[in-house]
Amino acid sequence: MNFRLVFLIMLPHSLSPGSFTILTLAVISSFLIFLRHDPEEEGIEFWMFAKNHYVMYEEEFEKARDPQVNGDLIAYGAMERRLLSGVLSDTPVPDLVEVQLTMASRFFSGPIDAVGFTDLRPLLEAEGLDKRINPASFSPWTREGRIFGLPHDMHPVMLGYRADIVEAAGIDVNDIETWEDFVRILTPLMRDFDGDGTMDRYLLDLWETDYFGIEMLLLQAGGWYFDITGAPAMNSDINIKVLATMVHWTTGPSRIGVNVPRFDAEGNRMRLEGGVIFQFMPDWYAGVMQQDVPGLAGKMKMMPLPAWEPGGRRTSCTGGTMLSIPKRAAHPEAAWEFAKKLYLGTEVAEKLYKEAMIVSPVIDNWDEDFYDEPIAYYSGQPVGRFYLDLANDIPQRVPSAFMVMAQQAMINAFIRTRREAQQAGVHEVEDILSLARAELDTAQTLIENKMRRNTFLNPMEDQP
Amino acid sequence: MSLSRTHPAWVPYFFIAPFLLIFSVFMVYPLVSSISMSAFQSYGPQFSTFVGLDNFKNVFLDPDFWTAVKNTLIYSCASVMIQLPLSLGLALLLNRPDVKAKGFFRLIFFSPALVGLVFVAILFGLLLGARDGLVNEVLRQVIPGFPAEFFWLQRYVMPALIIASLWIYVGFNMVYFLAALQSINRDQIEAAMIDGANAVQRFVHVILPAIKPVAGFVVLLSIIGSLQLFELPFILLGGAGPENRGLTLVMYLYQNGFEQNDLGYASAIGWILAIFLMGIAIVHRRLTREEL
Repeated sequence: MNFRLVFLIMLPHSLSPGSFTILTLAVISSFLIFLRHDPEEEGIEFWMFAKNHYVMYEEEFEKARDPQVNGDLIAYGAMERRLLSGVLSDTPVPDLVEVQLTMASRFFSGPIDAVGFTDLRPLLEAEGLDKRINPASFSPWTREGRIFGLPHDMHPVMLGYRADIVEAAGIDVNDIETWEDFVRILTPLMRDFDGDGTMDRYLLDLWETDYFGIEMLLLQAGGWYFDITGAPAMNSDINIKVLATMVHWTTGPSRIGVNVPRFDAEGNRMRLEGGVIFQFMPDWYAGVMQQDVPGLAGKMKMMPLPAWEPGGRRTSCTGGTMLSIPKRAAHPEAAWEFAKKLYLGTEVAEKLYKEAMIVSPVIDNWDEDFYDEPIAYYSGQPVGRFYLDLANDIPQRVPSAFMVMAQQAMINAFIRTRREAQQAGVHEVEDILSLARAELDTAQTLIENKMRRNTFLNPMEDQP
Repeated sequence: MSLSRTHPAWVPYFFIAPFLLIFSVFMVYPLVSSISMSAFQSYGPQFSTFVGLDNFKNVFLDPDFWTAVKNTLIYSCASVMIQLPLSLGLALLLNRPDVKAKGFFRLIFFSPALVGLVFVAILFGLLLGARDGLVNEVLRQVIPGFPAEFFWLQRYVMPALIIASLWIYVGFNMVYFLAALQSINRDQIEAAMIDGANAVQRFVHVILPAIKPVAGFVVLLSIIGSLQLFELPFILLGGAGPENRGLTLVMYLYQNGFEQNDLGYASAIGWILAIFLMGIAIVHRRLTREEL
């Protein structure tokens, strides 16, 4: 038999041209596949999805010796799939990886022991690092007491505003302490330039489909999708009040909010043309604005968020990234040393601020002078110092595998409540509360049922 | 000269072996494996808990599943009832002997199918932008007082999806119908004309019966394709859209399998969809048995 096979291959005349081509291609490609050998790079393998992070770290990668560090910039979606495969199916994983908040929730939907990242709490506590980092920044990466990443950022939120418009009207933003003040003092700035009955200039970038704004307001007020145990808290009294207020701000005669998409030409044109005066501005977005809307240089300023109550919290937070060491990392000790050097040092913190306006969560870095430098884009304000002054008030976030579902449920509740308020002709917060409560009760039931289904991760079992 | 005299008996098996191997590993094994997986709650392949038929029960109890079923069925009905008559109409027009430059028009109508769903989704996203979208710009020029912002993709999700899919698939299906129409014997049509049949009668009694097998095939393909809708709403709406109005069955499967990592639950959804598709295929086969 073997002799005949060899005979067939050796004598192409015995095969038709098509068969011979197929066979030849099969043999050559198989041979090449077996020959192929990906050279195993020595040193620490570091995956990241953000190009500006990669650029900032490049110098540190070059400086690193024994072991060397190989930085790989991978597209967000591709990195998520590769990392999930690595964690779930034992395909190769890096030694260090930067994981964004939404991506992290994908890794938290199984049993606690199946989370594919090393618990850093013992290391942080042994070296006293937990005291050197803003406590709120650990919260999105903490599950059942285990800390799965070193925080990259804090992302405090302020309001960025068109100082040229506000100051031309003789308004001093220092007079604004609460959201009530905000609406009362600033509503006269809204304009219907063409007289068509529709406003052309609104006060605030807030819309029913923009979960950034929704989450920032919920967190600032002390609300969130989940309580401290991880159980759903969609219909908490705080969430109901915030939702009713957001509906009040986006409908009827009391409307002050407008849809101004981020990373979008249409949204940026509105910003440039003064279609919106105040925007929620986490530190990272303060950097993005400078690049995306350079035409507003010298026209923008920052102020703390107005509080929900007098004396209340003047900031919030959104997004975030952690640096993790996968459990199956080949060089965990070396990775930990490099992670500390990268994230805790002043050099990268300075680059992070100067290139992306992101303020460091490392408390030791907060005294650095570069945070006090005036930023021309923001009319010479020391924006970094402003953000750091708010750092201690940043709210904590409870992480959950169900965060994306909860976001969608909150958006849906917002859309329905707003529509029902419009149909019923009610626009005052007190009148909208009952509508908001009914919609958030529905959202609560939906999330409870989805969580109950997960037998690995069931905080609902402890609920009455 | 017969094959058996030139090649040993095992040669055909040798050549189909690569296909069989790949088919077994990537199709048969996952298919069989997904049956057992649907009885487990899983977190990746390494962590699973036996839940029996709970996954199926939970699917039917989940309001999101029924939203997905409703959306998918609306889209599928629109696909068949709007798309196919339009395709047939275009094919009939292009099949007229007096139409010039048939090849050019065929290419024009077929060309949207060449670009792919992702491109179409991005294009319609730009067309339907709330402020600067081309549709709103045109409407503002034509209709005095048309609002400065109009959220097509929030208010009219399903019509937007249906119109986008019409743009792609009307021309695509037209090609099938045109091929069927061109295969009709002209003598039959001319005989009907001599017998005094008008255009409608010729269409109902001659053309339609002649293209029935192809029409049945196109209907089946359209139903199966539309029940598998995923990329278009996923890109156009960035997910399920407001109030899950763009949530389809395959997106529901994706959310659970690949966002929640529960492949067991996703397998249960997949089997429900597969059984539904098989049912449609059986009904279709019974209805068109004579032609097939």
